[in-house]
Amino acid sequence: MTALVRAVDLALDAISGYRRPDLETRLRQARARLLDEQVRVLVVGEFKQGKSMLVNGLVGAPVCPVFDDIATAVPTVVRYAESPSATLIRVPDPDGDPTGQRIERTPIALERLAEFASESGNPGNRERLGQIEVGLPRALLEGGLELVDTPGVGGLNSVHGAATMSALPSADAVLLVSDAAQEYTAPELEFLRQAIAVCPNVACVLTKTDLYPEWRTIAELDRGHLARAGIDAKLFTVSSTLRFEALRGGDSELNTESGYPPLLTYLRREVLGQADDLARRSTVHDVLAVTEQIAESLRAEESAQRNPEKAQELIGRLTTAEQRATGLKERSARWQQTLSDGVADLNADIDYDLRDRLREIMHEAEEALFRGDPAKIWDQFAPWVEQAVANAASANYVWATQRARWLANRVAEHFDEDRVHLLPSLRTEPSDALRSVRALSVRPGENFGLGRRLLTGFKGGYMGVLMFGMLGTLIGLSLLNPISVGAGVLLGGRSIGDERKRLVTRRQNDAKTALRRYIDDVTFRVGKDSRDMLRVVQRDLRDHFTAQAEQMKRSVQESLQAAQNSVKASKSERDARLAELSTELSRLDAVQRQARGLLQEKP
Amino acid sequence: MTENLSDAVRKVLRLAVYTYRDQPRTVELLRRQLERLDEPLRVAIAGKVKAGKSTLLNALVGEAVAPTDAGECTRVVTWYRDGASPRITLYPKDGAPSPLPVVRRDGALTIDLGGTAAERVDRLVVDWPAQSLRGTTLIDTPGIASLSTDVARRTLRFLDPEDETPTEADAVLYLMRHLHVTDTEFLESFRDQGVARATAVNAVAVISRADEIGGGRVDAMLSARAIATRYRSEPALAGLCQNVVAVAGLLAHTGRTLRQAEFTALAALADAPRDELDAALLSADRFLAGDETRRALVHRFGLFGIRLATMLIRQGVRSPATLSTELVGRSGLADLQRVLHVQFAERRDLLKARSALLAMDRLLRAGGDDGRGLAAAVERILAGAHEFAELRLLGALRSGAVRLPQPLSTEAERLLGDSGAAPAVRLGLPAEAGPDDLRRTALSTLDRWRRHAENPMLSRRAADACRVLVRTCEGILSRSARPPSARRLAR
Repeated sequence: MTALVRAVDLALDAISGYRRPDLETRLRQARARLLDEQVRVLVVGEFKQGKSMLVNGLVGAPVCPVFDDIATAVPTVVRYAESPSATLIRVPDPDGDPTGQRIERTPIALERLAEFASESGNPGNRERLGQIEVGLPRALLEGGLELVDTPGVGGLNSVHGAATMSALPSADAVLLVSDAAQEYTAPELEFLRQAIAVCPNVACVLTKTDLYPEWRTIAELDRGHLARAGIDAKLFTVSSTLRFEALRGGDSELNTESGYPPLLTYLRREVLGQADDLARRSTVHDVLAVTEQIAESLRAEESAQRNPEKAQELIGRLTTAEQRATGLKERSARWQQTLSDGVADLNADIDYDLRDRLREIMHEAEEALFRGDPAKIWDQFAPWVEQAVANAASANYVWATQRARWLANRVAEHFDEDRVHLLPSLRTEPSDALRSVRALSVRPGENFGLGRRLLTGFKGGYMGVLMFGMLGTLIGLSLLNPISVGAGVLLGGRSIGDERKRLVTRRQNDAKTALRRYIDDVTFRVGKDSRDMLRVVQRDLRDHFTAQAEQMKRSVQESLQAAQNSVKASKSERDARLAELSTELSRLDAVQRQARGLLQEKP
Repeated sequence: MTENLSDAVRKVLRLAVYTYRDQPRTVELLRRQLERLDEPLRVAIAGKVKAGKSTLLNALVGEAVAPTDAGECTRVVTWYRDGASPRITLYPKDGAPSPLPVVRRDGALTIDLGGTAAERVDRLVVDWPAQSLRGTTLIDTPGIASLSTDVARRTLRFLDPEDETPTEADAVLYLMRHLHVTDTEFLESFRDQGVARATAVNAVAVISRADEIGGGRVDAMLSARAIATRYRSEPALAGLCQNVVAVAGLLAHTGRTLRQAEFTALAALADAPRDELDAALLSADRFLAGDETRRALVHRFGLFGIRLATMLIRQGVRSPATLSTELVGRSGLADLQRVLHVQFAERRDLLKARSALLAMDRLLRAGGDDGRGLAAAVERILAGAHEFAELRLLGALRSGAVRLPQPLSTEAERLLGDSGAAPAVRLGLPAEAGPDDLRRTALSTLDRWRRHAENPMLSRRAADACRVLVRTCEGILSRSARPPSARRLAR
């Protein structure tokens, strides 16, 4: 990493004399990217599989609380820091006053972590924590590795699971944790299938191998399941208990037995290595591209100075190149069109997908509502709807990210002749839209209590008595005769029944309205989120490629200028300039050679 | 009273057989129900894959009758019932049942389907001479959320069938390693929709593999019990099942079938220096690395079992019998057996009658007009039999549909027979209480509940509930009035 930074510094130094701020900015950006790149590893799985133990084992410190009963309630992010620290991140309350609320960061003592991170200290996350960040001075984390311990509450296919799912595109690697007590279950494999579609590195970790003598059989079975499902993921078998014993006693043999070293190597070499490799390639590419552009114009000048008679030919060639560069910069360039068309298509597709998913849920929900009294089923109904909606939204988001990346590649293909991917990192943040949606709730309906029932019944009854009583008086009966009283009772009972029916219908309508409002809210927020994500991607890509086109154009112009100048120069001037040019070129060549050397060597 | 209920149900069933005499399929179905009334109670053991269903079944039987393996093992619904001699019968989906050979390997029964594909098998029936199967037929089911979806489907169809055949099991033990979403969904689906609407009265949740909690520490069972207690007080679960118990199935099974050779091996282990043993017991691999003969030991006890057994021997357990008792005692099997006895066995006739009536009800609904008179008869039993009223109320109380203020609610559940059907237990008296004590307490309880029933502050449903309890107290009184010897004769 430091070698890369040095190479960038060297290149910056080399081009400082050419007054090319555009190229300098590009190198500075590459440098900044190198310095704060985080590699995010999500640790996911059903609950009680040993996720927190795994994170603890990886960093070799009890940072995530471990408990026999359900433990982790809040996602915990472990990353590098000079000294141990912990910070609570509190998210604003969607129902509260939106003004004056922003994300709150509270530093706490590391020992108090369990109070906030665990289900027993913070049941149902009543502290409303978005996540907890823990900083640790560990060599493993120093390379920018970031471990995220996710809560397993409710299992993989719950609202929590949906949140984990929508965080997938933002992760560089996913570790699916399951214990050696049993082979993979259907939800776990389904999760893996989705993870592998959006995340470059997916690995499976089989924990608690110390406890189950048959863990080898289970591992074999799991490998079989993975192979059958066509999932290409590595499987690691570890024992956190052994790892801790090993760390405590400094026993390297036990450490080997714990199965942690291969996992650590995987994280270091493949996950970090891959991210590192990517960083290396893009940085070297940046350095080469920048220096090449300068060298190109120097070379053009050199050949013009050397053979002034061929200068005109050169100028002609350069003019064509300039025209092409200008063409790329123009708004009408083909890549621009691909990008804007692609984003428009994507917008429509994603919107349609989301609406389609939600419409399905709404149909099903409305049917459920009309089958009975909503007041009775509401307790189960509301969580069911929220769950289904969360799943739909996260699936939509994951799909959107996937499509956006695909689009970026298409645009890059257009642009890049040498096929070296110049893509800016399109890392999207996990969608937070669902958290800001108001919960699904109905106003408490009218209570059809005894008093009201009596009153309604009496009203109906009174009418009945009066009606039939009056009729009776015509044939000489008294107002209160058995017939009129009977009719009164009948009508009274009927009006109570009617009233009850009316109330149920009303509740159904209320519930339906609430449901529609909720779905509408979700469509609005999630749709906005997806559109925002796309817009950011579009802007990133546009800026990125426009800058590239700009640089290319400017370099060609400089070459052209130099070539044109050389025609007018005198012999002595020409010789002096040639000497100058050759030293400059060899300097740039040295920088390039060094950068290329970085590509070969492996970390 | 219970006898009367069974008789009444029998009468209705016979009437139904007569009514539908021209429909052989229906008659066959009804006859099965009639036979079922005389058979032992059927308890199904259900749960997710690898929850330890077969292991627990073995522990309950006290013999290795259900095959167990590291991978997913049970693929067919298997019935274990009492029989004069060991016999396995395979019932295919279509075609005649065929016998399978009974093969025992290392004292464990191995079942070979003999070339029949698992999906073509309706069920296996294993007849086995065992004391513990005399009162209950145990049914082992394939795991839910299994990767082979077919296996899972077989279980769901068995426990919660959607066609007209009502569930075959009278009661369910639901095994879970920890509470999962699919678990609650499953329990919900099992809670019946039909007539008795007795929610949560025929299911008991079991935290199986309790010994593995906390990495198999020696105090794992304590932890497991604490978790069970927490689940018990969770309203979501209280509405779905009657009770939650923690059991270490493997430990219980091994404890019940402890062999002298195993005890000797364990004693030898316990003799070794403590540090050495602790280091060896750090992981299964380490333990096995020393000696391949230990594999059988790990297989039978699990790491937790070995840790516990060696600790017990070191603390002075000297004979296999004592060790066996200790292990079984610590495994929580006794808790489970007590719960089974109280919640299922004592209510055997009631649960069976309920299953039969449920079956009738579904039949009548599908049957159309001929069954009108029958439907009335079924309805009469359901409405008239106080046992059903009790069962319904218990379900309603547990699910929160009816709310009584505390401590009334606790007392009500006890009176309804939640912790045992014996009059003394219901009244909250010690078991050895004399008839006079019983009578006195019953009278005062009756009086109290009469007053509750009149309490204007209670909602109508609560007052109704109080009236059911008044009737329960009256029932206890009328039974305790009879001399005990006469009662025994009546049985």
